[in-house]
Amino acid sequence: MGSPLAKAIQLIFSANAELLNILSVTAKMSLRSSVLALLLGLPLGIWLGACRFPGRGALLVLNRTLMGMPPVVCGLIFYMLFSGVGPFRHLKLLFTVDIMVMAQVVLITPIVIGNMETYVAGVAPAVRETARGLGLSRLRTFVLLCNECVYQIISAYLMAFARSIAEVGAVSMVGGAISWKTNVMTTAIMQHTNRGNFTLGVALGLILLTLSLLVNILVSVLQRRLSR
Amino acid sequence: MKIAAFTKTYEERRVLDFPGGELLPGRIYAVIGANGSGKSTFARILAGALAPDKKTVHPDRFTVGYMPQRNYAFRMSARANILLGGKDPARAAELMEQLRIAHLADKRADRLSGGETARMALARLMMRRFDLVILDEPTAAMDMETTSLSEELILRYVKETGCALVLVTHSLQQARRVADEALYFHKGALLEQGPREVVLVDPVQPETRQFLEFYGL
Ligand SMILES: Nc1ncnc2c1ncn2[C@@H]1O[C@H](COP(=O)(O)OP(=O)(O)O)[C@@H](O)[C@H]1O
Ligand SMILES: [Mg+2]
Repeated sequence: MGSPLAKAIQLIFSANAELLNILSVTAKMSLRSSVLALLLGLPLGIWLGACRFPGRGALLVLNRTLMGMPPVVCGLIFYMLFSGVGPFRHLKLLFTVDIMVMAQVVLITPIVIGNMETYVAGVAPAVRETARGLGLSRLRTFVLLCNECVYQIISAYLMAFARSIAEVGAVSMVGGAISWKTNVMTTAIMQHTNRGNFTLGVALGLILLTLSLLVNILVSVLQRRLSR
Repeated sequence: MKIAAFTKTYEERRVLDFPGGELLPGRIYAVIGANGSGKSTFARILAGALAPDKKTVHPDRFTVGYMPQRNYAFRMSARANILLGGKDPARAAELMEQLRIAHLADKRADRLSGGETARMALARLMMRRFDLVILDEPTAAMDMETTSLSEELILRYVKETGCALVLVTHSLQQARRVADEALYFHKGALLEQGPREVVLVDPVQPETRQFLEFYGL
């Protein structure tokens, strides 16, 4: 009964109101940011992977840079844009879930793009050559190419979602970790640990790890289906 | 069908120099030559799958069917793959029967073996008629029996559709069995071309002769 782990597990199953609120804010944020990142990243990734045009190399370098951007830098940029001195201050978005979603979209979309680009660049030449040899239209070829990417799309989405729930740097800066409003799992872990309240921290940590495990199991199942 | 002259250069290296020519309907042209002599490059440019140095498109308008050296098997059943080539299910069943892949119809095409994939791809291409058909080493991964079935099918397809067919092959025996004419590529140059009785039996160029001698023919 005494160990932090036991207490944390007890807390998870006790329907604690604050815990549930944190989970619900996290779900709202991560579902929105990951779906938006997918909607933006999917067409861009397929386009970059399938088409050859001047400037493509530069765009890939840019994307890779964005993929490696430290979340706190992203948070800083959004903070400066939307805080009391920023150009968008009148939108009053700072410390809302909306701005957390926006910052995360900037962080996560490059992951979707990079993921799709690599895969599409691998299959597109062979798909295109084969489809052309059969006299198929460009539209038909594109539909076939997308069909070949279905598992990859799901796996890219899951990775974006996993990154979103685990990210802390950007969301703590622009969201402010306000309890009952913008506190998500990662920021709540930091906050409660700082206050010496380990139980909630450990409970959230367990949930995060379990979610991450589930997502990764799904990804690996998909990857097995992908491999030839 | 007139084919304009074209060249292909990779990083300052000329890998193909084709002087142009004419392909007649109902005839089979074998393209032979050593590895790296430019056969696939020739096939891909002819098929429009690769751009030559200067954008010389075919002067005449005609439909081209092309089976690449590496065939892509779409992540769907072998039957669905074949039906990408044309809509007629009866035709698909007939082709699968002829190439002995009927038992693989419902299997995922991307899990087929090399020889099975090649037969699936050949059936897929032969679902419809083209004015010009280009096959890049279609039987390279097949065993002797399926090679022979495929050759029969190729001959029948040309007879039935009256298309011109370009068959890239590294098998001299195969070229002799099915081709009417042969083109010999050597280091990217079309060194010799003509009726098979000449090019494949008693060639004029010493390099072609050497190539044939290597086969012990
Ligand atoms: N994308 C490429 N980049 C550079 N060189 C290439 C490329 N594709 C083919 N080549 C070269 O062109 C030559 C002819 O290749 P290919 O037409 O495939 O030969 P073959 O089919 O007769 O074996 C080879 O020397 C090959 O290395
Ligand atoms: Mg080749």
